[in-house]
Parts: sequence; C-alpha cells; structure tokens
Amino acid sequence: MDSQRAKARALEAEIAALRRACIETQAPGDDDSQVRKSFQETHQSNSEEWGLSKDLRSHLGSLESELQFLSRLTGISIRNYCKNTEDLTNTEMAEKSIKKVLQRHRLSGNCHMITFQLEFQILEIQDKESLSSVITDLSIIMEPTEYSELSEFVSRAEEKRDLLMFFRSLRFFVEWCDYRKRTFKHFKEKYPEAVQLSEGASSSCMGIRNPSQPGFELVIVWRIQIDEEGKVLPKLDLLTKVPLRALELDKNRVIETAPLSFRTLLGVLGIEATLESLIKSFCTEESS
Amino acid sequence: MELANTLRQDGESRGGVLAHLERLETQVSKSRKKLEEPQNAQALEARIHELKRLRDKLRAEVKQRQARVKASTANVEPDQILEISEQEILERKQENMKAILQAYRFTGISGKLTSRGVCVCISTAFEGNLLDSYFVDLVMEKPLWIHHHSVPVFIPLEEISAKYLQTNTRHFLFVLWEYLNAYSGRKYQADRLQSDFAAFLVGPLQRNSLCNLLSFTYKVKPEGQSFPFCARLLYKDLTTTLPTDVTVTSQGTEALPSTWEEQRAAHENLFFTKPLHQVKGNIALSAPMTKVMGFQKNLSRLSGQGPFHLTRTTDKQVFRVKSTASRF
Repeated sequence: MDSQRAKARALEAEIAALRRACIETQAPGDDDSQVRKSFQETHQSNSEEWGLSKDLRSHLGSLESELQFLSRLTGISIRNYCKNTEDLTNTEMAEKSIKKVLQRHRLSGNCHMITFQLEFQILEIQDKESLSSVITDLSIIMEPTEYSELSEFVSRAEEKRDLLMFFRSLRFFVEWCDYRKRTFKHFKEKYPEAVQLSEGASSSCMGIRNPSQPGFELVIVWRIQIDEEGKVLPKLDLLTKVPLRALELDKNRVIETAPLSFRTLLGVLGIEATLESLIKSFCTEESS
Repeated sequence: MELANTLRQDGESRGGVLAHLERLETQVSKSRKKLEEPQNAQALEARIHELKRLRDKLRAEVKQRQARVKASTANVEPDQILEISEQEILERKQENMKAILQAYRFTGISGKLTSRGVCVCISTAFEGNLLDSYFVDLVMEKPLWIHHHSVPVFIPLEEISAKYLQTNTRHFLFVLWEYLNAYSGRKYQADRLQSDFAAFLVGPLQRNSLCNLLSFTYKVKPEGQSFPFCARLLYKDLTTTLPTDVTVTSQGTEALPSTWEEQRAAHENLFFTKPLHQVKGNIALSAPMTKVMGFQKNLSRLSGQGPFHLTRTTDKQVFRVKSTASRF
C-alpha cells in the first residue's frame, strides 16, 4: 500500500517536472513575438552578408570593367587562367640560398576571331644575385580558322618557346587581317561591278573585272605572312587573266611585266592608292 | 436513528451505550476502511496507471518540443548555407578575375587602371627568357598624354607617340612593345656573349646603349694562336634582334689563308641568322663536335695528308673539307 503510494507520489513529481520542461523548451517560431525576434536576428545577419555580397558584387563589377578595358587596349581577351606552383628547391640548393620553383600556367582567350589555349611552364631560379625566369615548355592550341598562315607560325612559336612573340604576331596579324577586310570592303562598295570578292569579306583575293571587257581579269592576292622572327608582313601579288589573243597583241609586254610593276607601284603609292589606281585604269579605259 | 432512540430510552446505560456506539462507529469505519482499502488499492493502482500514462505523454511532448527546437534551428542553417555558397561563388569569381589581370603580363602588354587613366606595363622576353618590364602611365584625357614612364631615353618614344598615340593607342602600344622587346633581346644577347664566352673575346665588347651597334674581337679557339676576327654588327631595324649588317674582318694586315677566309665568311653568315651567343657556340666547336674531330683524324690517317680542317655551313648539313696542306 505504502509502496504504491510512494510510487504514485514519485510519478506525480515526475509529471510536474515534465510539465515544467515543456514550458521551457519553446521552439522559436512557436511563439509569435519570438518569431518576429528571430526573424529580425536572421535578417540582420543576412543583411550583413548581403552587405558583404553587395561590396563583393560592386567590386566584381569594377574588376569586370577593368578586364574589358584591358582587352580593348591590348587586343587580347583572356577568358580563363589558372596557375599551379611546385617548389623544386632541394636541401642542397636551400643551403646555398638558391630557390627553384616550377610554375604551370594555363591560359585561354581570344584575339578577335582567333581563339587560343595555352599551357606553359616557367622555371624560376632565384639565387643571391638575380632572379631568372625561363619558359621551359609551351604548348599552343588554336581553334581552326580560315587563316592557314597561322599553323606554321604556331608551331614555330612553340619550338622557340617565345610566348610574347606569339602574342605580338597574333596582334599584328589580326590587325592586318582587319585592315585587309576593310580595304576590300571599301573597294567593293565603291566599285560594285568591277570588284569581285570570291570568298566573301575575309577573302585573301580581290578580282577586278571590267564588265565591258569580259575575259580580262586582274586578281590581287593579298597574303599576310609571319616570318621567322615573328614579324607580320603583307605580301601582295598581281595575277593577270587575259585571253590568248590579247597576249599576242601585247607588243609592249605590259601584261607580262604587270606583276612586277604592281610591286613597284605598291612601294610608291602604298596599298590603297595602288588598288584604287589599278581599278580605275582597268575599268575606265575604253580600249584595252 | 435507532441508535439515537435507544440512547433516550435508557439513560442509565448511556455511558455504556455511548461507548458501545463508539465501538460500533469505529467498527463501521474500520469495516468501511476495510471495504475501502481494496478499493483504495485498486484506485491507487488505477491512479498509478493514470500517472504513468500522463508521464509518458509528457515525456513524448518534451521530446517533440526539443526535436522541434533542433529542427527550427536547423531550418535556419540551410538558408545560411545558401548565402555562404553564393558568397563563395562570388569570391571565387573575384579571385579568378584578379588572376586574369595578373596573367595579362604574359601577353606582353598588361595594365592597371589608375584614377586618371591606365598604367601600362610592357614585359619583354627573348627566346623564352623573361626579361625586364617597363611601364608607361597614360592619362586618358583629350588629348591623351604620358604622365611618366620607365622607357629608356634611347628608345624613340616621342616619335612613336607622335605617330600613333592619339589616333590608335593600341597600335602605339604594339609598336612600343616591339622596340622595347627587341632592345631587351639585343641587350640579353650581348650580356650573354660577354659572360659566357669571355674566354673567346679579345678585349672588351663594345656596344652602344641601344645595343644596336656591337663591335668585338674574338678567337675561334680560346687557347693558342689563331687569327682573331673583328666583328661589327649593326642592327638598323630597331624592332629586330638579328643584325642587318655584319662585317667580320681579320685583325692582321696579311691576307687570310683560304680556310680562314671561308671561316670568316661562314661566321658572317652565322651572325646574320643566329642569336649572338649561339653563334659563338657554333664557332666554339663544343662537345658534339668530337665526332667531327674523329672524322678529321680518320681522314688524315687514310689519305696520308693532313691536318684537315672542316668548316660547317650554316644549316649544319654539309661539312666542307679543306686540307691545310699546300697541295689543295
């Protein structure tokens, strides 16, 4: 009987304690005012983070505009870059305070219409007097373009491990291609019937035809070459297409010497003026 | 009621009756208690049972509440995680952009925006060796002007800027880069010649600050006497690292024997086509030439003539054999 009573009393006490515990463990959100309070708290912390994000975002914006400016200024647009450093200093070197580091870089981007991907390694050796950085490996991958002149140049640059020369040649090459395109376009617009661009705007050939004299055609081949040293040079040639009969009549051998004369003219007048005079003389003369 | 009546009828036996009544009362209550006790026990048991049930219910309730509390705090975390990952993404993007800005120096022309314009950094290299950098601080106003720069005085900066700076700033930078890179390359070649091949040089290497006019005297073999050659290299085109004019002459006044004449001509050719310090390497006939030496020896042994002298043409494909004996 008593034990039962004791049991009962113990249970009662336990129940009272549990009841108290229930009141204490109020989950936030259970209570309206608590909800508001916690919301304020989280909002504060959120806004702190949002504040950080805002700074970050505006900083990113300024970085992006800096990159855009740089790409316009330098002509090269780098889209992606990552770097990996390996310390090759061994204890012997460390004793002589020589530090040897191998850097692996991967870079991808474009120069106008030419897209490239580079992977190169730079070995940096620092001793007491000087720091030497040497490119020990260079691999260039270019997306195939219509510019066949580039593939030879790329393999040469890889061989010589001349990274800067690669970029310099690329820049000038693209400049020249653009100039060629604009020049051809200009003449096509000015003399629409006389000028033929067989391969479209970025073709390397411009044909001149006199509509009243079919069978006669001048073709100007404008190649952009990159030499051994990485210098970009335009090379223009004149090809003549003339009926056999006309050749026989050509006593002064004007047609034969035309390519050479063209070269001379280029040296004297420059590209645009030469082309202009050629078109004019070919098309406006009544007699061939 | 009956008890009360019995009390009034017999007053004398009141004490005895009262006592009797009391005895009865206690008996009744005892019996009642006795009756109640089994009921109490039952009730107690029932009560205990009830209490237990209530306790268990409350336990469950508390547990639930505790779990809810945990869950609600956990509910706050996923949002925070989202916030953090977005921040991480932005930070990573920022790191990438900063790295790209740094990487521009590998293209030769890089820059940093300043309050008034841009500070352009021009990096130079020669055959994979990264060399000096120069800077040009441009102010983006109309007209564009150069605030300050580290371009050496002998580079025709004014000329180049007069031509291109206003009309085509990009081209201005390209051309300036060409000049600076070529200068850096020539300087590097001259420095390497001086340091690596000091044994072959007779006297100092003379050069101008632009490093486009070099003059030096050298011997083919470091030891022993051979006809020393004077080389004069002129780099007329300031954007190249190979000379445009090369003259190799013999120092003495007497006429050179034919072998030496050929060598002289070959050297001239080499200077035109190869970087300076590599020309010396070719001339020096270093270790890979031991095969040639062996060939020389064999020739003399076989033909009974000798000694023979070999000169190498620039493409390293053909060896011309000439004997120093007067018969040939």
